[in-house]
Amino acid sequence: MRTMAISRFLLTGFVIAIMAAFLAAPVSAASAEAGLTLKVETSAPTGKVLISLFDSSASYSGGAPVAQAMIDIDAGQTEAVFPDLPAGDYAAKMFHDVDGDGRMNTNPFGMPTEPYAFTNNARGHMGPATWEQTHIAVSGLVTQTINLR
Amino acid sequence: MTPSRRGFLLGAAALSASIATPETVRAAAALNAAADWGIVTRDLETDVAAQALRLIRGRAPAGLEGCLFRNGPAKFRRPGGSVSHWFDGDGLMRRFDISDGQANLTARFADTPKRRVESELNAMVTPGFGSKGDARARLGSNDDASCANTSVMVAGDKIWALWEAGSPLAMDATTLATEQCVTLRPDLKAMPFQAHPRYAPDGTIWNVGTSGDQMIVWHMGGDGALIDAKVVRLPRASFLHDFTATDRHLVIVLQPWVYEHGGMPFSSQFSWKPDLGTQVLVLDKADVSRSRIYELPTFFFFHLGDAWADSDGTIRFDLAAGKDTAFVMEGARVLVDGRGRVPGEPAELSLVTLYADGRAEMVSSGVTAEFPKANPRYAGVRRMLTAHTTGETSGRPLPTGLAVHDWASGRSDTFEFGTGHVVEEALFVPKPDATSERDAWLVGPTINLRSGMTELHVFDAGRVSEGPLVSWSANLALPAGFHGAWKG
Repeated sequence: MRTMAISRFLLTGFVIAIMAAFLAAPVSAASAEAGLTLKVETSAPTGKVLISLFDSSASYSGGAPVAQAMIDIDAGQTEAVFPDLPAGDYAAKMFHDVDGDGRMNTNPFGMPTEPYAFTNNARGHMGPATWEQTHIAVSGLVTQTINLR
Repeated sequence: MTPSRRGFLLGAAALSASIATPETVRAAAALNAAADWGIVTRDLETDVAAQALRLIRGRAPAGLEGCLFRNGPAKFRRPGGSVSHWFDGDGLMRRFDISDGQANLTARFADTPKRRVESELNAMVTPGFGSKGDARARLGSNDDASCANTSVMVAGDKIWALWEAGSPLAMDATTLATEQCVTLRPDLKAMPFQAHPRYAPDGTIWNVGTSGDQMIVWHMGGDGALIDAKVVRLPRASFLHDFTATDRHLVIVLQPWVYEHGGMPFSSQFSWKPDLGTQVLVLDKADVSRSRIYELPTFFFFHLGDAWADSDGTIRFDLAAGKDTAFVMEGARVLVDGRGRVPGEPAELSLVTLYADGRAEMVSSGVTAEFPKANPRYAGVRRMLTAHTTGETSGRPLPTGLAVHDWASGRSDTFEFGTGHVVEEALFVPKPDATSERDAWLVGPTINLRSGMTELHVFDAGRVSEGPLVSWSANLALPAGFHGAWKG
């Protein structure tokens, strides 16, 4: 059905990828060539925004992230900084863990009930937004404002 | 004449007789020409600023004061891509105000995420009920696909534009400005909320939403605040556009158009299996885990009337019963094309009885009907009257008349506008001093195909055949709407 079709990707592709990223916590390459700041706008004043950053189409599609960050909304934080990135293309996936339970909640039919977003504020097509939609060239200091919904 | 030449001429004559008689030429030309009804799916490019409607006959009855909100698709085509199905156009909310004997109209498009994306692309790209869409669509949730085009519910001082696969969309009842998707409880964000909520005698509102063989049951106060929500499993993953309810039961009619496989458009997921028959699932409102299943012969339907239960447990409801999926799969595409023959046969007003001993039967009135509506004072309790549109014919399933059918006498009180009008759903509005079911007005629009204008009409529900008490004309034709709600 329509809701099922749209929700399936979010559970498998998106949620698993982002949670695996936090569990794996790989170390990003150290270089002082570039940096990315993500400012977030979201509807709820509680919880944390969890972000995974990827540096290739392959890793974005199910591999390990190059870095992660957490924005503590409870503490009034509104941005995450990824300093010292090698210049190149990056894309981020993020969701707002509003109730702080460490997972992306879904409704009884499997649709996300907590806000999420991708870089470029991209929206997918009944699937996660693709690397082609979400990647940004990071050269020098780059800032994006992301609206989670 | 040489044999060869004669042979050629005979052959040409035979060919001409088979494909090019004057009659077939005229028929082909008629199919290729824009139909007179094509205006029902015209595109509106902008919102409609408030305008006073022009009185064209009669006088507004004293005591009739309120707003008729109506919703329906009004934008189907953009240069970069168009929808191919009537159900996939952008929702236009219309408000007809009747006050002090005057009528005014204003209309605004629901400002959905879908419409924003498609305005930016100047292309209709979002998959829908009958349109496949394309990869340019941006779909992060089912609410991103909503056209908010099907119906409207009054919720306190707001109105909700309703679709059926996602959340209601709140709009300001006065300005018709879009506000936001309605989340009735945080853990139920983006759950489907269908377009035909049912009002109970206690003033509360029930609705459902489905996904496969799962159905959420919504129970709300009269202001739209959530009282409770429960998910139940259905015996069959049927396409469900409408349900009905008595004061004590929810009645879920499961037609044999059932989920078969994924993919878009949505309608392609279903397979028509007439051998399965139709099931009716009855749930106890007090405990929706308690249910009973009845069996009926195969029929197709979109719309049910309000149900009622007798003291012995017999449940009755009326509906517009069709034969098959010809209209929903093909007819609704022809309507968007604006030309050609619309396949499918008109639905008939029918009455279903579910007996306490488990038997079930459906009897047709023989009357062509769609958009069945009951007097809202009698929602969920015993009643005898059904208002409905009528006059559809095979090949032109667009209503031309309005009727009230009396189930007690078997008589229909009908007014026929003729093929110069397309008649839309009319609602019962009880008179201020009403003491009976018949003490009501019927309020609804038509599209006058001759003048090319939308008209608003008021009938006495007890004297429909006498024609409208009052008729007003707008200065434009709005595309045909689907469903409405009255706010007195």
